[in-house]
Amino acid sequence: MSAVIEFKDFSFRYKTQNEFTLHDINLTINKGEKVLILGPSGSGKTTLGSCINGLIPFSFDGEIKGSCNVCGLETKDASIFKISEHVGTVQQDTDAQFVGLSVGEDIAFSLENDMVPRPEMLERVESSATIVGMEKFLKSVPYNISGGQKQKTALAGILHNDVEILLFDEPLASLDPAMGMSAVDLIDRIHRDHHKTILIIEHRLEDVLYRHVDRVILMNEGKILLDTTPDLLLSSNMLKENGIREPLYISALKNAGVEFTAEDKLASIEDLDIDRYKDKILEHFHTVKESETKQKNKKLIEVRNAFFYYDDYPALKDISFDLYEGERIAVVGKNGAGKSTLAKLLCGIIRPAKGQILIEGEDYLKYSIKELGEIVGHVMQNPNQMLVKDIIREEIELALKLNGFSQEVTNQRVEETLRMAGLYPMRNWPVSVLSYGQKKRVTIASILALQPKVIILDEPTAGQDYFHYTEIMNFICELNEKHNITILFVTHDMHLAIEYTDRAIVFTDGEMIGDDKVYRILSDDDIIGRASLKKTSLVTIAEKVGIDPEEYIHYFIECEKKERANG
Amino acid sequence: MDNKLFITLTPGNTFIDRLTGKTKVRIFFLLIFILTFTWDIRIMLPILILSIVSLLSIKPDKKKNVAIIIFVLLMNLFNLFLTWVIKPNYGLEMVGGSTVLFRFTDFFIVTAETLWYFLVRLTKFMASFLLSLAFIQSITPSELAAGLHSVKIPYKICTIVSLAFRYIPDITRDFNNIRISMQTRGLELDSRKSSLFTRLKQYILILVPLIITSFDRVGNIANGMDLRGFGKNRDKTYYCEHEDTQGDKVLAPVVLLLCGILLTLIVLKILYKPLYEVWCPWI
Repeated sequence: MSAVIEFKDFSFRYKTQNEFTLHDINLTINKGEKVLILGPSGSGKTTLGSCINGLIPFSFDGEIKGSCNVCGLETKDASIFKISEHVGTVQQDTDAQFVGLSVGEDIAFSLENDMVPRPEMLERVESSATIVGMEKFLKSVPYNISGGQKQKTALAGILHNDVEILLFDEPLASLDPAMGMSAVDLIDRIHRDHHKTILIIEHRLEDVLYRHVDRVILMNEGKILLDTTPDLLLSSNMLKENGIREPLYISALKNAGVEFTAEDKLASIEDLDIDRYKDKILEHFHTVKESETKQKNKKLIEVRNAFFYYDDYPALKDISFDLYEGERIAVVGKNGAGKSTLAKLLCGIIRPAKGQILIEGEDYLKYSIKELGEIVGHVMQNPNQMLVKDIIREEIELALKLNGFSQEVTNQRVEETLRMAGLYPMRNWPVSVLSYGQKKRVTIASILALQPKVIILDEPTAGQDYFHYTEIMNFICELNEKHNITILFVTHDMHLAIEYTDRAIVFTDGEMIGDDKVYRILSDDDIIGRASLKKTSLVTIAEKVGIDPEEYIHYFIECEKKERANG
Repeated sequence: MDNKLFITLTPGNTFIDRLTGKTKVRIFFLLIFILTFTWDIRIMLPILILSIVSLLSIKPDKKKNVAIIIFVLLMNLFNLFLTWVIKPNYGLEMVGGSTVLFRFTDFFIVTAETLWYFLVRLTKFMASFLLSLAFIQSITPSELAAGLHSVKIPYKICTIVSLAFRYIPDITRDFNNIRISMQTRGLELDSRKSSLFTRLKQYILILVPLIITSFDRVGNIANGMDLRGFGKNRDKTYYCEHEDTQGDKVLAPVVLLLCGILLTLIVLKILYKPLYEVWCPWI
């Protein structure tokens, strides 16, 4: 085996920072390997990727110590163009890397830059589009295709160059569960059929392990902590302490008191010999009684047979559901299924074409958007799209000022909100110095200031690793529990739904196909298939052991809740 | 996708649509230059007719087009009216005559020459406008980039043009999302409820996050382009620039002819300075 990537005592510091981001990296990756680079946000995994594809030092200037050799090129001396002949990168932001105005044109981008004549270009575009399954969409414009298709396009755009190394930077970040699975599958197929060296930078361990991975590099704080096989990694206890979520089946088995050894084949639930743990699982398992307490609360919002059309295209068809005070509810479904339309509808930005929405029994048409804003708050996915002021305090004040509250009430509410959100000590900080997670918290607080009864959170955990994820979710749950605020999560993160919500509403193509307890939704194969969700590994365990999957998921949720309550 | 901007993303299938970007760009710019260099209605009228025919031939969205044409026409007529109010005898300056047709007062007179001049001016403007409208709706941004590149404009500039078009819808979408989120926080954009000045101030609140997120995106786009070899060579080829169609071949001599006309106009303009710029049949 020959090494294609070799780091030797490599350290890197961004020009704009005082501290080194990468410390003493020693790493060898051999030709044809498939390697996962795992780590929480800020662990340096993306920086490591940028060192490999040449963005460092080409686009990001800084201080380099030691050596990084990629396919015989010393990256600090080679040009990014030379390196890109060997390394193809699929970036995280599927929209930003789609520079063409059609799929075909985007695939052709690097060929255009290489001055390949058009007839040859057409042929190569066609053949690489066929590999990723996009050959029928060559004329599609970027606005009409899904995130998954954009990613496939990006992949096709580097495949025709016959690069040796394919680097995927957080390939699962913007995909729904089913699309994520097919992306992992596609990467695996290309690894096998085209004998490429594959590097995947991710923190969603369970999703990547859906297909075989040769090696996992665990990073944190700019250092490589572990360089081992997936089996050994999972049997170690290093995941949780480094902010990485364990696969659900591993948590479930640990809950049942199972202890792993280095010999266990833990990387794939399909290969794992569940029978060996059957007794332990059954011993710990017990049916959990259904809690009906929330149902007794009063109805806050009633949606009655609501329809909505964009031009003539129906975006919501005959939607009916109730939202009770103090509930935590997940709205799930693939992109374009109608989730965000529903959120807009509830905020009053758009109004139902047919049907009715009642808020505490009264027709909501009588409220203006502004008035509704004091009942239903909406937190966008990207905090940068919501923050408009320089200072945290001003940001939180803004909504109150816009709504014409008196100075006295404003001051009092701002202080209250700052304390609720745990931002009081930071109230005079500039917003620009905050981390992504802190910004998220400020946006939630800015909505909280209006004291809404319902908060809609759009993908609250997107772009965050497990540690920050837990932090923000605990904060939201605290708001829900202590202040009785109803929370509606718009998400495709099923982990979130399992852990933090009571009920899930499932959308597909503008229709509501499910409204039930999360554990029932997740054990319903029909809904999972239609809503582009993913069967959780809990269902697999339950099936192998012979427990009703619904009851098993319910039991698991209760265990996790207890564990969280115990800290 | 909401396309209110007259941008065509997928090429249509009419004669003009099928031409290469090269031909479209050349003919458009030649005609526009000719229009700028002349005040002669004998040259401008055929171009106006050609623009109308082209516009009709590409079968554009009727409602959208009629609305904007009427708007522009009215604005122009209003502009001409104001010009008349300020200089009722403009015709004397531009055309060189003053045949009074109607007299309101000694100052406010209507002369045949002024009317003729206004007609010429309207023709000139409407021809450029309709031509541009037809051009925008028959060319995709990529074809535009390829076409510009074919007239020796550096490809980096051409790419900036097509990238701008690529990301306009994305930025519009971001803008709408930010606006919605600000509205739920109490931003009042309803013209009946807040004054123009307040609304302008509030739009600035929307622009701040828009600019910040757009800058983030620009960084990502630039990295993506670097990684795919943008700027590696002194030239690049174009995926969208297909081989010449029958139409391109037919129009090749037309391009040459237009070049000839433009050159003649420029030469005449330099050598021969007429007393009055606007040609008029009776003077």
